[in-house]
Amino acid sequence: MSYIERKRRRRITALVSVFLALVALMWLAGVRRKHVAHSGQVVQFTADANTIVIAQANDADTLDPSDVGSADTLNVARMLFGTLYDVSPQGELQPFLAESYQYSDDGRDITFKLRPGLACEDGSPLTASDVAYSFDRAANPRNHFTGNASGFLIPSIGYEGSHVIDPLTVSIHTAKYNPIAIGLISEMLVMCRQPYEHMSLREASTHPSATGPYRLAEWVHDDRIVLERNPHFKLRQTRYERVVWRVIPEGSTRTAELLAGDVDLITQVPPDQIDAIRNSETAKVETVTSTRRVYVGFNMRKKFADTDGGKAIQDPRVRQALQYAIDVPTICEALLRTPCSRAATLVVPRNDHSGIAPTPFDPDRAEKLLDAAGYPRGKDGVRFHLKLQAPRTLYGDGNVAQAIGQYLTDIGVETEVDLLDLSVYVLLTRQHEAGPLFLLGTGGSTWSALYDMSDLSTQDSGTNYTSWHDGLFFAAWKDLEQTKDPAQQQEIMNGMLREFHEGAPWLMLYFQPDVYGVSNRVHWTPRADEFISLY
Amino acid sequence: MIRFMIRRLLQSVLVIFGVTLVTFLAMHMGGDPTYLYVNEHASDAEIAATRAALGFDQPLPVQYLHFAEGILHGDMGTSLTYRTPAVDVVLRHFPATLELTLFALVVALVLAIPLGVMAAMRRGTPVDGGIMLFAMVGQSIPSFWLGIMLILAVGLGLRWLPISGRVPVLDPIFAGDIAGGIANIPHAIPYLIMPGMTIAFFTLARTTRLVRSSMLEVLSQDYVRTARSKGLSELRVVGYHAMRNAMLPVVTMLGLEMGFLLSGVVVVETIFSWPGVGRLVFNAINHRDIPLVQAAVILFSVTFLVLNLAVDLLYAQLDPRIRLHS
Amino acid sequence: MTTMTSSSSTASALPVRRSAARRMWRSLYRAKWPLLALAILTVLILAAAFGPLLAPHDPNRQDIIARLKPPFSSAHRGHVYFVLGTDGLGRDVLARLLYGARISLIVGLVSVFVGGVIGTMLGTLAGYFGGWIDDTLMRIADIQLAFPFILLAIIFMLVLGPGMMNLILVLGIGQWVTYARIARGQTMLQREKEYIEAARALGQKTPGILFSGILPNILSPLVIIGSFNIASVILSEAALSFLGLGVPTTTPTWGGMLAESRDQLLAGRWWLAVFPGVAIMLTVLSFNLLGDWFRDFLDPRLANEN
Repeated sequence: MSYIERKRRRRITALVSVFLALVALMWLAGVRRKHVAHSGQVVQFTADANTIVIAQANDADTLDPSDVGSADTLNVARMLFGTLYDVSPQGELQPFLAESYQYSDDGRDITFKLRPGLACEDGSPLTASDVAYSFDRAANPRNHFTGNASGFLIPSIGYEGSHVIDPLTVSIHTAKYNPIAIGLISEMLVMCRQPYEHMSLREASTHPSATGPYRLAEWVHDDRIVLERNPHFKLRQTRYERVVWRVIPEGSTRTAELLAGDVDLITQVPPDQIDAIRNSETAKVETVTSTRRVYVGFNMRKKFADTDGGKAIQDPRVRQALQYAIDVPTICEALLRTPCSRAATLVVPRNDHSGIAPTPFDPDRAEKLLDAAGYPRGKDGVRFHLKLQAPRTLYGDGNVAQAIGQYLTDIGVETEVDLLDLSVYVLLTRQHEAGPLFLLGTGGSTWSALYDMSDLSTQDSGTNYTSWHDGLFFAAWKDLEQTKDPAQQQEIMNGMLREFHEGAPWLMLYFQPDVYGVSNRVHWTPRADEFISLY
Repeated sequence: MIRFMIRRLLQSVLVIFGVTLVTFLAMHMGGDPTYLYVNEHASDAEIAATRAALGFDQPLPVQYLHFAEGILHGDMGTSLTYRTPAVDVVLRHFPATLELTLFALVVALVLAIPLGVMAAMRRGTPVDGGIMLFAMVGQSIPSFWLGIMLILAVGLGLRWLPISGRVPVLDPIFAGDIAGGIANIPHAIPYLIMPGMTIAFFTLARTTRLVRSSMLEVLSQDYVRTARSKGLSELRVVGYHAMRNAMLPVVTMLGLEMGFLLSGVVVVETIFSWPGVGRLVFNAINHRDIPLVQAAVILFSVTFLVLNLAVDLLYAQLDPRIRLHS
Repeated sequence: MTTMTSSSSTASALPVRRSAARRMWRSLYRAKWPLLALAILTVLILAAAFGPLLAPHDPNRQDIIARLKPPFSSAHRGHVYFVLGTDGLGRDVLARLLYGARISLIVGLVSVFVGGVIGTMLGTLAGYFGGWIDDTLMRIADIQLAFPFILLAIIFMLVLGPGMMNLILVLGIGQWVTYARIARGQTMLQREKEYIEAARALGQKTPGILFSGILPNILSPLVIIGSFNIASVILSEAALSFLGLGVPTTTPTWGGMLAESRDQLLAGRWWLAVFPGVAIMLTVLSFNLLGDWFRDFLDPRLANEN
């Protein structure tokens, strides 16, 4: 090859390379939208007394107040948006943006009186029309929202419309009287009509316009959300000027960041790192018994009835027997590394007046009951076989499920534990296909027993994951609607809880202890309802 | 040359479609994702409505054709979780990943070449033995374990480097603020070192060994002997004549190594909470966010193809014997 | 633009069988390190084969009272003794390590075998016949190469569900391209050789030519790549376990054990990470060393230098 030829070819190659690089850059620049650009300032937040840095596992998926749903998202959204009522750290309902409410005589209209002097993020007054807009926007089926408001609140209260009486008075119409409507409405984030009317749904998901104590300063997706104090919010005193939510998916990394002092508060401390935090000089552990009931569901759908175990758990005596098989206090002590409160019924203890006590750990009794129910041990020591499905990343990272499998196997119920990816598990439970045993934790409330029981509001409710059918229990809901007398309501509820206890569709375990790691720099106490508040 | 380019381009388009088809089929084998996009209290009618709104009620071939048609118009669909165009979501995470992999590649090469050359020059000595042992061990450590150990030792124990977080360099550059991006580099490097090293370690080890063996081969060739006998300085011999030829196999591997580094980001981004495409796509797969998975997979494939093309061109530059033809 | 090794190297690598074995052993003996690797692998394979007999406890028997015991400690008033300690559910680490050896080695070896067989078969066909078969197969190979392996593995493992067979399948399919490309190149070289043409002229059938003519002559580079790939497959298994997508967590594997240990490192429970970590490292190291040696052994250019 001649020198000239080589030189020419080299030039061509160089040109082509440059061209390719340019194409690649243009391709990137061309499709790039404005989200990409952000200043990239060097952030050094801690050591600043007015800033708190909180790390949780997931980024907010949307900050559209009508659409927020996941727990990590709600934590952020609750700092951005006010609600008419909210739950105090002590667990009681208290006025927030509203100062009072009034039920109409038939119980179907609820009239809220707003506090005067409320403001939107731009400083304009927040009025009754904004509250009405918040409800209507969430209820509008054309928006296809899937979050907490449109998917749960609106249908639960049977929202039919709202009526602005004067700038500070709004009335909410519902399909029927619901004794826990105020509690449900306390989860309804209030937004301002003006900014949201001018935003597309897409814009609204990333550009929240605040009505609460903080407003959005910066959102670097999957990295951090920076909130700063909302100067127009005067209702409550906020403790920090700035709140930084960092996204740190890996538990060990969260703990390491806390111990290194770069993060002030972390959620979901892995149980086995509790000691590491306790022994450190920079941080401490705060635990609280949450309202989340962790239970093993017996899936009673026909689908499972053709296996020996699936058939056995159709028998309430078997379900009752298995309640004695599991040593819950030891599981808590050893695997969750924190004592936890036993669950007796589906109602949180503070609101449970049924007098039903948690089942003690008594494997001999379990075995006797199983013998009596007609399921003796076979030659190989096995009574019947079951499969327990559980999410891998929850409940002590699958350890609790595996321990339960061992306890059941110990009494002759050979249990295979199937740990699934959370998304797969959610798909199964939503379709009521998890089982025959599945480990689940569903959130209760601090303020009402009825809220806790609403998981089983009807026999084919989406949250009746075990497909439990019990004539007496589900019929009692009708009786409850008939009366407004608290004593009589209590009597009916106690009866329902006894029925639940007898029918034993859930193997009751414990209330999930929430474990937070808190830097010694900050003083913060956790709440039972999983919210992170900084007032 | 031009024909070679055109042919490569056409092949690439074919490859991209193949990749999307595989992704599409695999993701749909996992069952109906609709249930992940409705509230747990949703009724059957609501679920059906959502299914229709997401397009999952259509037969699979129709869904794929619809999607393929979209790509031709530059529309990769809307992410189900973010509710924004999937391409936007992926692109806003892309600079972080590109930054990390490029940094890792540079680190790997900058360390591997001198180490490999040194081992080859000092063949059979303890220096060689030490470097080879390091390379061997480096190829046997799972990256997530290395990452966690680095966090514990360097981040938490010694407090030398930040444990997680990122200062962007490429984002401002892609946004047009080149000076701002470059100004961020000194601040970005402390954040890059641990995740970068974690990804680079395997490649570093493998490349060191490759450089050593190819250097050994080259040093035994006639032209090196000739160069030596001509009385050229050892530096000139090794640094120019030998290096140039010893780099050929390294360059050949570059494209594949880059693909390998891109594979490593899923784990490393999770450990160091690096806001890149690896973690994004892992979450997207978990949430059955099919359009987002598609967009990310396409991006990865395009990056891979562009890099390999660049490597081929570079290769032709280095080796005059190679002609570009199909 | 594929670069080829000189064709003489493969041909001269095939001397008479008996002396080959002796040469191999002598080369191994002289090189020392590979010999050590071979010894380690032998021990591992024995452990995997007879692990159940050696294991002091049932690897899946939990004992949450005796969880996280350090090595050389006992529980239940000294009645139960754990040589390598216990894990987060009180399972014996030694027993899990022994059972894990079996699973990890099976996954490594079988998936390389699966990938190797598929890849070699397709590559040989593509190289021998050329034409559209070659084109189609190479395009499919391109598609797979452009698809980051980990994404493919994540998607398939999530869809298929955790399980050893699925894992082997995914890891095997993940590497067929490597073998296919090499087999194709080598076959194209061999196809033009006189002995193949002679066989063809003598009327030998195509399958016969492929199996007895070509295959034995292209096998050695494939075996070298295979031995390196066993190492990387074991690492891939660990990475997938970290993401929660390996075999079910109830089945012990080294990768799974290492992945489970990550929450324990901060609290200083080193034994949970060190033992499976060392096991993985030794295995991967051994396969790499053996692969290295095997390559040098088969490549006369480097061998002559020794």
